Amino acid sequence: MTIGLSFIMGAIASSVSFFMLGLWWPVSLLVGLVAWFAFGLFSLKMDSAFTLMSGAILVFCISLSVMIMRSSDQLSGLQYADTVDEEGTEFRYPVPLLENAPHGEEVYRAHGCVACHTQQVTHEGVEFDIKALATEKNHSAVKEAINRFYRVTGQPASGGAALGMPVGEWETIALGVSAPDAAKARGFLSSAGASVDVQVRFHGEDLEKDEFSNPNGRGWGKRRSVARDYLFVERPMLGSVRIGPDLANVGARLSRSTLMRILLNPKLIRNDSKMPQHRFLFEVAAKGDGDELIAVIEGDEEVYYKPTKDAEALVEYLLSLKSANYPLEEAPVYQPFTSSLPKPTTPTEEVVESEDGGASSAN
Amino acid sequence: MSSQSKNLEEKIDPREAVDSSCKGPFLFLAFSSITWLLAYSIFSMLAGVKVHASGMMADSAWLSYGRIEPASQLALQFGFLVQLGLAVTAWILSHRGKTVLVDGGYFFLGGIIWNVGVTLGFVGILSGEASGLEGLQMPLHVLPILFTGFALIGISLIQTNNRRTDEETSPAQWFLFTATLWLPWVLGGAFLLIHYFKAKGVMANIVDWWFIQNFTKVYLTFVALGVCSHFFSLFSGRGVIGRGYAVFAFWVLLIFGSIGGISVGSPVPAWLPALSTVSAVFYFIGAVSIWYVLHHTQNGASALDDSDKDNFSLMRFALIIFASISILNLFFAFPGMASSVEYTTFGPAIELLYNLGFVGLLLIASLYHIFPRFAVRGLCPAMNKVQNMALILGIMVATLPTALGGLMSGDAVLGAGFYFSSFGDLLILLGSSLLFLNFLGAIVMSIKCCDCLASLCGKRNREEEVEA
Repeated sequence: MTIGLSFIMGAIASSVSFFMLGLWWPVSLLVGLVAWFAFGLFSLKMDSAFTLMSGAILVFCISLSVMIMRSSDQLSGLQYADTVDEEGTEFRYPVPLLENAPHGEEVYRAHGCVACHTQQVTHEGVEFDIKALATEKNHSAVKEAINRFYRVTGQPASGGAALGMPVGEWETIALGVSAPDAAKARGFLSSAGASVDVQVRFHGEDLEKDEFSNPNGRGWGKRRSVARDYLFVERPMLGSVRIGPDLANVGARLSRSTLMRILLNPKLIRNDSKMPQHRFLFEVAAKGDGDELIAVIEGDEEVYYKPTKDAEALVEYLLSLKSANYPLEEAPVYQPFTSSLPKPTTPTEEVVESEDGGASSAN
Repeated sequence: MSSQSKNLEEKIDPREAVDSSCKGPFLFLAFSSITWLLAYSIFSMLAGVKVHASGMMADSAWLSYGRIEPASQLALQFGFLVQLGLAVTAWILSHRGKTVLVDGGYFFLGGIIWNVGVTLGFVGILSGEASGLEGLQMPLHVLPILFTGFALIGISLIQTNNRRTDEETSPAQWFLFTATLWLPWVLGGAFLLIHYFKAKGVMANIVDWWFIQNFTKVYLTFVALGVCSHFFSLFSGRGVIGRGYAVFAFWVLLIFGSIGGISVGSPVPAWLPALSTVSAVFYFIGAVSIWYVLHHTQNGASALDDSDKDNFSLMRFALIIFASISILNLFFAFPGMASSVEYTTFGPAIELLYNLGFVGLLLIASLYHIFPRFAVRGLCPAMNKVQNMALILGIMVATLPTALGGLMSGDAVLGAGFYFSSFGDLLILLGSSLLFLNFLGAIVMSIKCCDCLASLCGKRNREEEVEA
């Protein structure tokens, strides 16, 4: 190997040691020098099987320690976290699978649902909206802080703040700013004595639809998925392809009867669905043979299908999937302005999945 | 050994002795691998059909989409690519080292165990015992069987490499030798981490992604690059040009191919996707270096004889696919671009193009070159042409529109991409069926022509006469 190429190898070794392995910089420099000498000046003998094997073992150990050991160290500390449900009741999250759901998880695994469905919600970014409240005492200082914020960040002046900050009223200072800019605004305004209110908005196609902040949302979850969501899952079926919708939060979106009908024949719910039918999870039954019969018109006659135990367990498992629903410290959900909280509305319509990823009303 | 047999051995051309030692193991693994390619193409086409006809085979759990799709991937990766890769590796290491294949019995036994493992994995997935992990879909208890099989084959290959007569080794030997070491390490490592150390939660996924990255970016790539490097220098009649760049590429590809492979949106610590981006950039530098070496080695070269012209073209085509995918991998390694194709059909389509279009075509071209040295009757050239066209067209049609569909659709599903994909699957099925029949026909004809059966019958007759 030429001196130039061996120098690049040394530089790469040094960079890897410093940036990836997080070694102290003099040690990284030393590793780089050793690599340079090894590859160049000492004319490393590639003809020796011993050299190849030793090098390969070294690289294998680096790969194992960087990818596996380091992430294991970081993730091994994960524990339960306190969170709140839709009604505001506090509970410890995540909740292990109960009753029939563990068997349902096995059915999900056995039938390879992971080939088409993911169980991980992502977000594309986070934006902050800032409001401030000034009093007569600090009015001029707050105005100065606002102007300073606009100057420093290059943000266009918005709302009433552009015309002049009113006294005793909450006024919007900035909309859709990044986390560092939001921190600057909070710092400037707080030091000027203003009360500050921050609204945190997440955007991304996976998240819930919001006409203002997330118009393209599909409603697959309130927040992105994080490692804690899978704390008790032995081998999470995260998936890598979405031929069908994400299921991380399907339990919060679909009802038992809808899921049963989707499993039997997805076209009963959506005509252009590409999902294969899973008739093997059902048995043909006589009319009146049980409560959960699904009637399907096949040809001229009406056929009744009864779910097997596997189907019931699978649906129970799917209904238990609500991970991207509850706020966590590392993955908060949408946080509105506390100064102007809107009245909560209760959803009345059941949402039905669509194959292209969207969600539409069933009624 | 009698003096007569010693004299006979001395009279044999050393190349023939090398070929003779590789013949049995090579033909066994090559035949198994082509059978698995046929199994892959049948199941892949069935999976594609199920997307269009959702009610088809809906009463059989064994034939649900979620089972036949991963089963077909297992057949492709562990059945076809690994086995044919091992067969070609054995031949190249023997020829490069100018030595016979050492411990051929271990190689045979390992091959049988490997096939048992792949079969159990295949049936296991179809019967609903899949692990749920993407790279290691087979039931986890199959992994030790695969490990044992590969380790036995590996013993034979490493012994063969150690008994080489030439002091200086070529890049082909570095790549193939390291690939032989690497797969059992990552296979064993992944099994121990998941089964013995009980990696739970997303740690199990990280181990799985680590395995996929090492299997594709190190094992398969190294086998393909080793094969490419051997045949390009063989066809050009000179050594590899740019040995220094080859050493550089070897280490860079090994280091950065073994780290990364985690997508931007994964629910893992943020530094893991960032690390994957960094290693993808460095990996590209290694890919450029090896591309430079291989391009200059084959530049101006012509195939040794007419029969190798098509093989040479096929290998050059595979190398172009490697270069194109390397550029795409760099482009889509950055978070902004990666998130636009994440979870779409782009990823699986490009993976298939890499596996079949780059590694698969290279190995098939090597098979065409090696097979006539073992059999009295070679593969039918006319059929070779047809099956090559069918495979190349099939691979392109099955992957490119699907990749484009994934790129354009974001997370949505493009029906058209699936129709193209199914047509491509049909062509791949045609190509692999022809390859299977061609191979089988050549073996049967060779057995007939070499009078193996007649000599066996003759021997029996003589024994009967002696007994009488």
